[in-house]
Amino acid sequence: MMKTEMVINNNFFRWFRSKWTEEPLFSTAIAFLIMLILQTLVLGFDYDSLGSWFQSWLNNWINILRNNASVGIIALGMTLVIMTGGIDLAVGSTLVVTGAFTMILVDTGTKGILAFLGLTGFPAFFVTIILVVVLGCLLGSLIGLTITKGNVPPFIVTLGAMMIFRSVTQHFMQGYNPKVPLEFLQIASFKMGNYMIMPIVYWAVIAYILYYVSKRTTFGRQIIAVGSNEKAARLSGVHVHKVRLRVYALMGLLVSIAALIQVSRIGSMDFSNAGRGIEMDAIAAAVVGGTSMSGGRGFILGTVFGMLIIAVMNNLLNLFGVPPFLREAFKGIIVIGAVLLQRKEKMA
Amino acid sequence: MKIELKNIRKSFGSNTVLKDVSFTITGGEICALLGENGAGKSTLMNILGGVHHMDEGSIHLDDKQVQFSTPAQSLEAGIAFIHQELNLINDLPIYENMFLGRELKTKQGFLDLDRMIRETDVVFKQMMVDLDPKTMVRDLDASYKQIVEICRAMMMKASIIIMDEPTTSLTDQEIKRVFTMMRTLKENNVGIIFISHKLNEVIQICETFFVLRDGQLVEKGNVVDVTTDKLAHFMVGYDVRTEPLIREKRQGNEVLRVEGLTYKPAFRDISFSIKKGEILGITGLLGDGRSELFQAIFGAEKVSSGKVFLNGKEVKIKNTTQAIHEGIAYLPRNRKENGIIRDMNIFENASIVTWPQFSKRGVIQSQKHAMEFEKQRQALRIKLGKLTDSINSLSGGNQQKVVLAKWLAAGPKLLILDNPTQGVDVGAKEDIYDIILKLAEENIAVVVLSSEGQEIIRVCDRALVMYHGVIQGEVARESMNLHNIMSLATGGKLT
Repeated sequence: MMKTEMVINNNFFRWFRSKWTEEPLFSTAIAFLIMLILQTLVLGFDYDSLGSWFQSWLNNWINILRNNASVGIIALGMTLVIMTGGIDLAVGSTLVVTGAFTMILVDTGTKGILAFLGLTGFPAFFVTIILVVVLGCLLGSLIGLTITKGNVPPFIVTLGAMMIFRSVTQHFMQGYNPKVPLEFLQIASFKMGNYMIMPIVYWAVIAYILYYVSKRTTFGRQIIAVGSNEKAARLSGVHVHKVRLRVYALMGLLVSIAALIQVSRIGSMDFSNAGRGIEMDAIAAAVVGGTSMSGGRGFILGTVFGMLIIAVMNNLLNLFGVPPFLREAFKGIIVIGAVLLQRKEKMA
Repeated sequence: MKIELKNIRKSFGSNTVLKDVSFTITGGEICALLGENGAGKSTLMNILGGVHHMDEGSIHLDDKQVQFSTPAQSLEAGIAFIHQELNLINDLPIYENMFLGRELKTKQGFLDLDRMIRETDVVFKQMMVDLDPKTMVRDLDASYKQIVEICRAMMMKASIIIMDEPTTSLTDQEIKRVFTMMRTLKENNVGIIFISHKLNEVIQICETFFVLRDGQLVEKGNVVDVTTDKLAHFMVGYDVRTEPLIREKRQGNEVLRVEGLTYKPAFRDISFSIKKGEILGITGLLGDGRSELFQAIFGAEKVSSGKVFLNGKEVKIKNTTQAIHEGIAYLPRNRKENGIIRDMNIFENASIVTWPQFSKRGVIQSQKHAMEFEKQRQALRIKLGKLTDSINSLSGGNQQKVVLAKWLAAGPKLLILDNPTQGVDVGAKEDIYDIILKLAEENIAVVVLSSEGQEIIRVCDRALVMYHGVIQGEVARESMNLHNIMSLATGGKLT
């Protein structure tokens, strides 16, 4: 008896170990699972009223996902940026710029641009979305161009852009209180059934698209090539500058989508605080998901899990009643812990 | 001093790498350790160097049994291991590298720069090296880096030095420099274990040899009793050709013509042309500018003046993507740095060039790539496990073939091969020569850049010899020999 048990355990351990070292997402998924179980336990599992228990569990989850959708979307782009060996610190400020631009466009007051042009209602929303996304792309391209053509390190360029974008926005938006029409809020607040899940839907769709892009397209694979060995990539005919430029443009685009979601969720934006520290949250999610800061290695799905791990942990800390000032510390522990666990050498 | 490794066994997981191998070396002896990639040479030396631990067997130092559990212990016992990837810090000057980890300090605890410089100078004098200890390592060429490593070993009073393929990235001139140094070491009663794929060098410099094949010692003896052919035979287990390779020549129209191409200081006023089905050799010593020249033609480096014609039409190639579009392929030198992408698997490494070509609306057509790669795999005889294995799981020769496969998939009209057999074992080397000849027969224009004169002589129809960035002269097939190549490469004239 004892012996069989040992063999089974041994086999399980071996399977676990090989999965852990060979499947990059395995450890992240396990961590998420543990979090999930903990969270379920804390919420108090109740056999007697399974229906209402499930209801509150579901509500809790929808809240978590919705609250993290915009950061989650930004983290996806950040993953690709980091995979090229770069970084984008300017996402929070880009969020503010595109958010402000959104509000100027849809404002129904006297200063609203589209209203001034006589465009209101759905056509106006449509044009707004297009223009905001284009602006996001342009800002990203600007960053990308400075990095590639100017040959300036991404850290420096985006650090500068971070300061410039927010400061300029704050200056020009002083004392301006745009009125965002209620219909516009439907972008994020539209209810499917009884649930407000549009941001989650956007996040999921974008995650799926980017997953596909990173796995199957020339662009996606060239990102890895550039991040892993830029010289070899260039000598293999990869247009390194183009790949880099596109990654930052895509980052800007994703940020602008996040901005649209944020604006349409609450109908306003605090230009001095919105998106502050969001770049760090995005980087943390990517890192927890197994993305290597030195480039060449990263997983879109890992980042989704990474985001969820951080989000569930925040939720747990909330449920446990941990004082708010201490919560960042736990986030820090998770980030460092995740990287410690992912070190391959230690297990092998 | 005498080192004996007795009945060493070692396996990694289920893979047995060394089966009962014994090895001996004494001071003042230069001993060649030969074998194809994967034969177990590195593992054996890593055991001696304290990096790996043997499963069975023993190490004896002057008839006393010893154990090396860390590289430091091995070094302590007087064994220095000079790895192929040199362990020098580029951003420090030579003298600080010489004393790395054992810095000399003044009484106040500051670095004693003067004394370190002086002592470095002493060793350099003793070894007859003409270098300024204050030079930054970054500014040294590969051979001098090698020499600095050797001097460092000498400074640590090493009595056995393991040199892992020290001459791979060196030119003939520099190899001579390293050999001179090795002879000096020998006179100082230092034993050298010389790991190399270049058998003519082994004959030149070594006294004894050990040959490993598949983890077993298959042959040992004195170098005077053997020839390179015989050594090659021991290594692969069958006869290896060494004669020049002849093929039926059908040269067609001109593919590439270059006129007055200049980018100072790398190369200047370069003019030549190559026809379909021709194999053109380019050789010279380090600093001749041939790699820079062809990287420029490939669009990876800049050009300040001059013209490039492809199939008679002038082209301006701005980047490598465009070069591939024009039908140019460039297999770079230094595979690890320029050729392979470590984070990608074998299949991806073999298809990266054709991703844009074989894709629909940006989505890679894996099926098409798989078919293409299967064709190349058979033609190039690439040995691999699964397509999705890491590129690092392959031996050097197979890695090089994968890099070659990615270029052949693109169907180039002009194939530039920069040091194609660098770090490749004997068997794979012959495979690559065969491929080069076959490609030429298929009417591809092939340029072979090589620092090995022998390689140029064996495969090329004619050769251009470069010297300090200019074409010093051309050698036709009939007059191709090492003497002619060397006299041009050192700035002389054909006689």
